Amino acid sequence: MSKRKIALNEYSQEHLLYLESIKRKKLLISILRYALFIIFIALWEVLARFNIIDPFIFSSPSRVIQTTINLYNGGELFMHIGVTLAETVLGFLLGTLAGTSIAIILWWSETIQRVLDPYLVVLNALPKIALGPIIIVWIGAGMNSIIVMALLISLIVTIMTVLSGFMEENAQKQMLMKTLGASKWQIFSLVVLPASVPTIVSALKISVGMSWVGVIVGEYLVSKAGLGYLIVYGGQVFKLDLVMTSIAIISVLAALMYFGVSWLEKALINWRSHSKG
Amino acid sequence: MHPLVEVKNVGLVYHEPHAETQALKNLNMTVNEGEFVAIIGPSGCGKTSLLSLLSGFIKPSEGEVLIRGKSIDETDASKSQIGYMLQHDHLLDWRTIEGNVLLGLQVKHMLTPETHEYALELLNRYGLYEFRNHYPRQLSGGMRQKAALIRTLAFSPCLLLLDEPFSSLDYLTRLKLGDEVYKIIKSEGKTAILVTHDIAEAISMANRIYVFTQRPASVRSEYNIELNKDNGALATRNLPGFKEYFDTLWKELDHEQTKNRAE
Repeated sequence: MSKRKIALNEYSQEHLLYLESIKRKKLLISILRYALFIIFIALWEVLARFNIIDPFIFSSPSRVIQTTINLYNGGELFMHIGVTLAETVLGFLLGTLAGTSIAIILWWSETIQRVLDPYLVVLNALPKIALGPIIIVWIGAGMNSIIVMALLISLIVTIMTVLSGFMEENAQKQMLMKTLGASKWQIFSLVVLPASVPTIVSALKISVGMSWVGVIVGEYLVSKAGLGYLIVYGGQVFKLDLVMTSIAIISVLAALMYFGVSWLEKALINWRSHSKG
Repeated sequence: MHPLVEVKNVGLVYHEPHAETQALKNLNMTVNEGEFVAIIGPSGCGKTSLLSLLSGFIKPSEGEVLIRGKSIDETDASKSQIGYMLQHDHLLDWRTIEGNVLLGLQVKHMLTPETHEYALELLNRYGLYEFRNHYPRQLSGGMRQKAALIRTLAFSPCLLLLDEPFSSLDYLTRLKLGDEVYKIIKSEGKTAILVTHDIAEAISMANRIYVFTQRPASVRSEYNIELNKDNGALATRNLPGFKEYFDTLWKELDHEQTKNRAE
């Protein structure tokens, strides 16, 4: 049952040493993490300053910062970030919503699931980027095409991950629900869905990354604004500072979104254990 | 007055793409109100199939299963009066013990302040009240299984089906919990059917034992266990006469098990 609570001063000397060693290891790892980042940035700056690498091709941290400031002063920075972010978030949300809904339908009807199975396998193997030109022709050159791109890239993976989560929610617990006389809907809402929360969240983590791929590729193909547009434009006019800056901004944004999902994960799991359904 | 459960000439066939299995054949048995009946038989003989029939999720291929004189599929209400306890507790780990115990009531749309109160009272009576806000992972195997029993009792079933409910526990817990579950079932005045392959467990808990044949299963023999069980299931194991029953049943089962091999 509940472990006996022991005040710190009751621990043996050996146990205190053990705790101390854990703490030290943790500290060491954090220090090394930051050090790696700082060394990388510093090395990049120094090598560029002393022309060991060509700053025109490789850019440098100070040039990236300068470019960011210039973009900000020109009033473009938040416009580009806003466009890309809106596309990614919309693509991600729509992909997750559609993917989860389709997974629910497939869980519900074994017949539909078996009919669609080969199509899912082929669509999963197909590089969705190949559909880019078709999407642009059908939907038109603009933001909508890019959002659809992001949606498509994350859709199939979401369906497959979420469905496998639903399916593994084991036969035994469903048997229990049947012994209680539960309807299919009750089995789904009381057991399968709450039990699949961790799988759904891991699907979200995958599709955040996928949506970024979809959006950036979409912006490569067709766009007049956004970070992907800046990268393509920067590459064409040989302004590598602009390319590097955009990549740096994307890294920060992608990381933030990932942390957002992680936060959501904690919140959902908390919610799951505090709701009585 | 009808007996609580009547199984009349029941046959059951399972269909699979490459096989047709006769699980039960000409099965007849009766369980009266307030009885504790155990079913033992060779493994895979179809004991669990019988419980599935009794709880109404499968229908017999032949014959009929009656609860208080009514066919099971006749009344949906009879379904809700049957409590099924499985081998594992299957408590939902994101619900507290209280939440888990209320699951059956919730599924059956029977959750009212009164039934909620009753569930809490059961938790209190059987020593789980102080753990009502704990999660299943914080409880030992025996306590979890007890919570599963209370989940079943909470909706006041007239018949309890116990499908090897102790087999996933270690031996000591198994003995203790068997004793406790026996006392709970008796003090709640419930009728119970226990499926087990543990002869001693069957003798210690049941007042009547059916021995099943190999598949297709039917009743090979029936024994009344005339031991004084007032001191619980565990104490029964020390009574004179326990060993005789054990030996008789052991031989019965052994014959049944080796019968097919000899053929």
